[in-house]
Amino acid sequence: MFGRKGNYPYAVARVRGKKRLLISEDDYSRMMMMELSEISRFLGETNYQKEMAELGGRFEGVDLIEHATYRSMARNFSSVLDLSQGELKEMISAYLTRWDYWNVKVILRGKSFGADMDSIKEDLVPAGNMDEEYLDKMRSMDCCEDMITELERKLGTKFPQSAVDAYKQLGKLSGIEDSLDKLYYQRLLEAISPTSRPKRLFRNFIKREIDIVNLETILMLKMDNVCADDILRYLVDGGLQIDRNLATQLANAEDSQAMAADLVKLDFYDDIKSALESEDRSLRGVVDALHRYQIKKTEKFSHLHPLSVVPIIDYMVHKKLEVDNIRIIARGKVSGLERETMKGLLVI
Amino acid sequence: MDVGLIAIGAGLAVGLTGIATGMSQRDIGAAAVGAMIEDESLFGKGLILTVIPETIVIFGLVLGILLFTTIPAL
Repeated sequence: MFGRKGNYPYAVARVRGKKRLLISEDDYSRMMMMELSEISRFLGETNYQKEMAELGGRFEGVDLIEHATYRSMARNFSSVLDLSQGELKEMISAYLTRWDYWNVKVILRGKSFGADMDSIKEDLVPAGNMDEEYLDKMRSMDCCEDMITELERKLGTKFPQSAVDAYKQLGKLSGIEDSLDKLYYQRLLEAISPTSRPKRLFRNFIKREIDIVNLETILMLKMDNVCADDILRYLVDGGLQIDRNLATQLANAEDSQAMAADLVKLDFYDDIKSALESEDRSLRGVVDALHRYQIKKTEKFSHLHPLSVVPIIDYMVHKKLEVDNIRIIARGKVSGLERETMKGLLVI
Repeated sequence: MDVGLIAIGAGLAVGLTGIATGMSQRDIGAAAVGAMIEDESLFGKGLILTVIPETIVIFGLVLGILLFTTIPAL
């Protein structure tokens, strides 16, 4: 009765405290007017202080900012996992496995491009369930066949032969990465049985995310004129609103107007409408609008259900966004992007 | 017989409100401690919010005393 369900009041109070420390919209505006060194100094005065001090001797400029923000995010997520108990911990742990898949992809990509072991390590985010020892073991493998076999053993799965062959013979990782993404969502949905209200809320959040991922995939592949059958192969099952039928309709849509007619019945149509109808019709605009919709929903549900997993996921989503935004500003500064362009790229 | 029922009623009033207070304080206390870990300045607010459910058991205690004083033998 006590404890099995999880320590929601304690965990939610902790993450609400952590969320208060996130960088505000005004701070982003200030950061966009700063030079890169000033941004580093500013971050050194925020909750990235520890990481900036730790890595200050090894990196500088944009590399320092990127590594410090990723390390801070990994630490924050691990601390959220540590402070939770019961079914809450199980759900957070299942959600954080996304970083295991991320790390595996980083190692595979690093190996494919011949990156050295140390530089691969710097890009890992050890926020998931795979410990550093295991990731080191993966990094030290030279043969791609060994890596695939080890991954299949660890994840208890079998990658499609075509994807394995494409990786071994042509060094093409897309098939393996696609399988990893599908596996993540499939395992995550299996791990959350809709037996209680918090679990149902969390399940719906994940299903909404699958919808967004699928819509992004459809839009991206349609822009590249990929045929409908190929598009459908890349989609993840288990979406909330975009089922197989609707996905087929969207993949077969003749033009953006036909697509909009199919999308009109979806909850998030109003949120992406302006981006879909904009003159430039950039994919980035639609994707950002979808992300804003997901944030809006998560924020709303975190207030409606304060003693559930949603406020914790809401914090994690915001933390990830903060890291992405800081990286966009830092990279934008290095590339000499205009302030307005950078502002348009931020998701706040 | 009446005396016994009054005594049981008084006991239930104190006992059940005590349990209710404990259940409320468990969640509020845990949240207050969580908030204090992230921001120490919330100690005062956390303490006040944690003791608010004490009113439930105080009402129960008052009711229990009132019932108890009606027992004729006393």
